[in-house]
Amino acid sequence: MARRHILRQMAIAAISFSAAETLLQSAARAKSLTVLAAARRKQWTGENAAVMQYYRTKPKWASWTVPQLNVRDGWSEPSGWMSKIENSRKVPYIHDNFNRLLPVTKLPHHWVMVIDLRRCIGCQACVVSCKSENNVPVGVYRTWVQVVETGAMEPDAQGTVVTDRGTFTPNVKRFSLPRLCNHCDAPPCVEVCPVKATFKREDGLVLIDYPKCLGCGYCINACPYDARFFNPIQQTADKCTFCVQRLDRGLLPACVTSCVGRARIFGDLNDPNSEVSRLIARYPTTHLKTTMGTKPQVFYIDLDGVVAEDGADAFNTLYPYAVGTNTEEYDDLTGKVLLQTPMGKERGTR
Amino acid sequence: MLHGSLIQSGLENVYWGVMIVTYPYISGLVAGSFVVSSLSHVFHQKLFDDLAPLAVLVSFALLLAAPLTVLGDARQPINFWELLTRGHWPYSPIAFFILIWMAYIVLMLFELYFAFRAQNVRHWVQSQGHSRLRRFLTLGSRDASLAGEKRDKRILMILSAMGILMAFLFHGYIGFIFGSTKARPLWATPLMPVLFIVSAMVSGIALMWVVYVLVMRFSHRPVHRALADGLLRYLVLFVLLDLYMDAVDFLTSAIPAYTQGPTSQGFQRILMTGPNSGIYFGLQLGVGLGVPLIGWIIPQIRRSLAGGALMSLAVLIGVFAMRWDVVIAGQEQSKISSNLVTVQIPWTGFDSVQTVIGVFAVAFVVFMVLAWAFPWQSWNQIPAMEHREEREGQILSQSAQGTNSTITTKGGHVLS
Ligand code: SF4
Ligand code: SF4
Ligand code: SF4
Repeated sequence: MARRHILRQMAIAAISFSAAETLLQSAARAKSLTVLAAARRKQWTGENAAVMQYYRTKPKWASWTVPQLNVRDGWSEPSGWMSKIENSRKVPYIHDNFNRLLPVTKLPHHWVMVIDLRRCIGCQACVVSCKSENNVPVGVYRTWVQVVETGAMEPDAQGTVVTDRGTFTPNVKRFSLPRLCNHCDAPPCVEVCPVKATFKREDGLVLIDYPKCLGCGYCINACPYDARFFNPIQQTADKCTFCVQRLDRGLLPACVTSCVGRARIFGDLNDPNSEVSRLIARYPTTHLKTTMGTKPQVFYIDLDGVVAEDGADAFNTLYPYAVGTNTEEYDDLTGKVLLQTPMGKERGTR
Repeated sequence: MLHGSLIQSGLENVYWGVMIVTYPYISGLVAGSFVVSSLSHVFHQKLFDDLAPLAVLVSFALLLAAPLTVLGDARQPINFWELLTRGHWPYSPIAFFILIWMAYIVLMLFELYFAFRAQNVRHWVQSQGHSRLRRFLTLGSRDASLAGEKRDKRILMILSAMGILMAFLFHGYIGFIFGSTKARPLWATPLMPVLFIVSAMVSGIALMWVVYVLVMRFSHRPVHRALADGLLRYLVLFVLLDLYMDAVDFLTSAIPAYTQGPTSQGFQRILMTGPNSGIYFGLQLGVGLGVPLIGWIIPQIRRSLAGGALMSLAVLIGVFAMRWDVVIAGQEQSKISSNLVTVQIPWTGFDSVQTVIGVFAVAFVVFMVLAWAFPWQSWNQIPAMEHREEREGQILSQSAQGTNSTITTKGGHVLS
């Protein structure tokens, strides 16, 4: 009986400790977030001293140890980068009923991007320029260029690839695939946002009002292109903005200006004389995952249908530097050889 | 990496962690235990009269803890009031949360009031423990008569009927959050809300069985076996329904000929052969459905208290595994790269095992407070004056016959 009593006391102690610990943890987190929110509001109005003070005293507040935010990074510029996302041209926002966009010709602009895969050499310059233009934290990407391989290793007695499992002839094709937010005309990410923090501007841009974001992650799960991510510094959803801060000042997006082969072309689809309109009129274009019904506004020329629609299992991703380090794919690439055979993917030995 | 815990370093990640696994689990328990209380309130099953007040308290405690899971998973929880001021109704499924949750809280408050009003008045009048609290909980009502109690029962019936609808709505919409996400092939099925509701019923009944037996044990009262067995019968009924739903889900998601390519590929690579196959076959199907069904077939297990505990705990584990297989497995399927996304659930910190335990601990503490405040004990009920005379007569006549000291009254109350 006494032992049972002690056990009960111990159970009660453990449960109360656990409850108290969770409450304390939430309180601590709420406090740090409140301080940050206050700092961010000030940042929004251009008073960056508070933000900088906050980051100086707590540089690792999100355990994100790599970026040390300081003046040289541009984070403390008086009219900080976040305030530039504000809508200086007062273009109307919509959060749902995207059919309103149908009479697009009546709208002044409809910004789109054309990516000409015949010209992409996979140099990743756009990835770098986007990171530097938009202060994208380490580990996350607003745009990235996948180097993928489609096709299969075919068993062939005269083949050139000799493995323990037999001899193969490569019947494969390799190409680079720049990816970014498609600024969809029917964006599921906007529709699912519970607080209307993300929206579609009537000129086509899909943007996020960061201080309103709950960080619930619904939009990130709802985007079929994995274009969204959690910004580890802001602790909100984030994604490509078509460089709205440049666009509203009459500049082209950073990734477009830095593209060495002019594979990325940006422009106004409502202007029949723009380069994008002419390219789209002249060459067959397609989108990624058209079956999702999201009406993407990034047009690809010469896109392989296997990659566009099937995704995941239809191709191998090579060069994993812009690919998640938490995928089996990464494990495979760093540890083992992958062979695409008619039986499916086979793991060879090293 | 976020708060030193949940791994968010890849291009693709599992964004919704174990807190979002717990969210449908807890709300399922809310819905399930509420339906158990309505067995007595709406369907007038006298057998479950003793359990109904307890079920209402359990349901309410879990309901209060449910939003902690979503808030715990959100990166900016202090912005939660945006849900009220700029909620995206009716387009965003998550925006419904605050609306349905608040409506449910209001309904539960009414339910609590009417379920305990008469007892509170009588306890207060007879000055039996927490006299002041009792007076406060009556909110000024002084009607301790049988007629008043009957009126309460009628109101409770309407409230509980509405509550069943709310419970289904509350839980069905969580299923819809997943079912409406077309970007995740394993989530995007219209079956999702129904799957969720059925497993909610299963887990709620199992939880009430465990809570009932534990409460009886801890207050040194005999377990009313007819009640426990009745609950087990309902449990097995709903487990069969769950088995049916799982079979339908399997046929419409796993068989390549019957479904979209990505869905069947994902199901086979993640749930059937991949990292989650153990959880799917072992826990969700084997433990969650197999153990209770086999236990029911074997009379020794079905009839013993330990067997009932085994069946209920197995169901509780199985339903948690089911939530895991929806939330985590759905996100393991990559959208843009080849192969699967890997997931690591941290033990402590943000979105970790420890926070889950904490949420349940909060629910437990709330339940203890509610159990202290409300007179739910079946052995502590004070009948109306009209009833009391009747009961005294009964006791007299039974003791005259020289029976033992345990007396069962009409309502199935065990008096000692
Ligand atoms: S690509 Fe994704 S994030 Fe961008 S608009 Fe489309 S659905 Fe939204
Ligand atoms: S993460 Fe932010 S932007 Fe995305 S759905 Fe949630 S609140 Fe909206
Ligand atoms: S448009 Fe701007 S934000 Fe988008 S990928 Fe290019 S550089 Fe990055």
